Amino acid sequence: MRVSDLQFFGSTIGDLQRTKERIVRAQEQIASQQRIAKPSDDPSIFGQAILEKSALADNDQWIRNIQFGTARVAVADQTLGQAQNLISRVRELAVQARSDTTSAQGRVTIAQEVRQLHRQLIQLANTEVAGQPVFAGTKTDAPPFVLGVGDSVSYQGNSESQSIVVGPNQTTQIVLPGDQVFTGGTTNIFDDLSNLLTALESNNGAGIEVGIGALDQATAQIGLAQGQIGAISNRLDTAQGTAQVVSEAIQQALSNQTGTDLATALTELQLQQTAYQATSQTFTRLFDSSLLKFLPPA
Amino acid sequence: MGINSLVDIAKSALFTTQQAISVTGHNVANVNTPGYSRQQITLSENVPGDGSPGQIGTGVHAEAIRRSFDSFVEDQLLSSREQLGKFTASSSAMAQLEPLFGDANNQGIGAGLNEFFGALQDVATNPSDLSARTVFLSKAGALAGQFNQSAAALTDAQQSIDHQVGQTITDVNRLTSQIAGLNTKIANAESRGQQANDLRDERGVALADLGERIEISSIEDATGQLTVFAGRGQVLVDKERTYQLVGVPDLSNNGLLDVRYDAGAGPTTSLGPVIQSGRLKGLLDVRDQTIPSLRGSLDSLASELVTQVNQQHRLGFGLDGSTNQDFFVPTGTTAGTIAVSLTNVRQIAASSTAVGVPGNNANALTLSGLRSTAFAPLGNATFQDYYSTIAGSFGSAAQGVQSNLQAQQVLHDQLTSQRASVSGVSMDEELANLLQYQRSFESASRMIVVADELFQSILSMKR
Repeated sequence: MRVSDLQFFGSTIGDLQRTKERIVRAQEQIASQQRIAKPSDDPSIFGQAILEKSALADNDQWIRNIQFGTARVAVADQTLGQAQNLISRVRELAVQARSDTTSAQGRVTIAQEVRQLHRQLIQLANTEVAGQPVFAGTKTDAPPFVLGVGDSVSYQGNSESQSIVVGPNQTTQIVLPGDQVFTGGTTNIFDDLSNLLTALESNNGAGIEVGIGALDQATAQIGLAQGQIGAISNRLDTAQGTAQVVSEAIQQALSNQTGTDLATALTELQLQQTAYQATSQTFTRLFDSSLLKFLPPA
Repeated sequence: MGINSLVDIAKSALFTTQQAISVTGHNVANVNTPGYSRQQITLSENVPGDGSPGQIGTGVHAEAIRRSFDSFVEDQLLSSREQLGKFTASSSAMAQLEPLFGDANNQGIGAGLNEFFGALQDVATNPSDLSARTVFLSKAGALAGQFNQSAAALTDAQQSIDHQVGQTITDVNRLTSQIAGLNTKIANAESRGQQANDLRDERGVALADLGERIEISSIEDATGQLTVFAGRGQVLVDKERTYQLVGVPDLSNNGLLDVRYDAGAGPTTSLGPVIQSGRLKGLLDVRDQTIPSLRGSLDSLASELVTQVNQQHRLGFGLDGSTNQDFFVPTGTTAGTIAVSLTNVRQIAASSTAVGVPGNNANALTLSGLRSTAFAPLGNATFQDYYSTIAGSFGSAAQGVQSNLQAQQVLHDQLTSQRASVSGVSMDEELANLLQYQRSFESASRMIVVADELFQSILSMKR
């Protein structure tokens, strides 16, 4: 083939240009740590990465939701434990008062402590997290249990519950409405305490006996609520564990797919630089071997 | 046969050699001229004179100065220029659109959707918390803003491409009149029996420049004049005459320029659907196909988002008891017009019942469930699936154009190299020729000296 000067320069320039492009591209990947920065870099991976980022956002959001729910549930659990202790203290007092040796005056004295505990239970049932009562159903803008005339307590929350999203199409209830825990279910614990107070103050032994029976029911009712809260807490823990594992897996996949593999990128950079140098050097050599060099000066 | 004829032979050699050296010089001078075709002098013997015992030579003359030229390679190079023009234009136009998908840096509509639904779940987990509601409303505003920006960027890109279309039309008209002018000059020169080598080179360059802009074909007539056709046979140049392309704002296409062919008489015809390559085709492809299709997809996404969110939101109750409220402005169902309608964070309808406020979150949960719901108008895909498909198919198109461009560049380099092999100047060759002609010149000069000495000898006999 006949080789002209233009051909020689032109093809060398084209080669150098393309090599330089690859150098810049490798350099960009190293600097940005992103192998895929634009849709055209790898369309299918780019599209997949959008979905993976979306899944990652979901998982991170679920973890956030769960952490919020866990705080509520932990407080509810703790409160129910305290309520349980309180009920058993009342029961102790009631058993003491039931004894025939306890005088009417003694029963009145015991009633005073029971009344204190009654008020304390109202406080427990009104426990708040961040200004929101835990046992109000979804009526979270006011304390649900309100002391009325005498020892009567009314529930002003509602029976609705709140659920949070903890996984793909999975929700978990994080609220036990107060009417289910304290004033509903099998027995109204505040009424039970109120009746017990009346029996104590009216020196009614049979009434105290009935009151003790009611307290046993109350213990069972709160125990049931504790069981439910415990189950919720377990589910939240499990869901969080799952979301965290998935989240890490997605991050790993994303970084594998779209991140720069330094070893590969550096090798590519080195390879292209070597190619660039080699092309430049041979070009200079070839350029040197012109007939002009061997002609005598004119 | 006399000494005079020897002088004549030497003289013809001197003249011819000088011409050959001039051609060599011209080649050397134009080694870097784009489109230059190496010229070669063709030498031929003069008509011999009759004599005894036979005919005797009478010297040399230059028969022609031709350019080295392979019309097959030139044709291939021209169609390669057309493809190159098309892919270069569409590739750079599409590269400008790629930043719309800033998902690698967690920007863009995909990230906006993630944040929108994330903030919505924060409202669901803590429905009475005003700060969660405020964040949600601002994320919704940001998402609408991302749609609006994308739509604006698409419009900007379309306008900028349209401007380039107008510029290209001007270029085409300039090049056709240049070719028509050269047609006349070439016909004039060659009718006088001259080889218009350099004018032909110049016309070749103009033709290639024209081909880069619009798909063309051409035929040369006996007088050396080119007739140039655009696309499927619209005459752009006929000898010295040109026919113009005009850009007419097309009201059915947002006032973007329609590339029309003006035959001089009668109605103009639209060239857009006819041409298949060249820069114009690349620009029109992106302007009239890629961008509208992208915009259509984003509009569908925005429309479905507005419809679904509004529909569900109207069923719920805000902290202030409000219900049947649209979340997005119901008429804003395109990427360019989507906007948040609610301004009061208390009106975000997280609750499914009027009595359930503030803690009821059932409606917020259903709303956030829209994220994982497939919708028929989106081809049974979720919002995020649909968006990733938009990004993926745009990416494929951009990647396709890029790899076409790269392949075309390699092919073009090969063809350029082939052309250079035929038509390019080789310095070594020219230097060798120069030496050769120099020696001829010296020898011919020597013959004159010899002839002179012969004359001297004859003249000296008289004394």
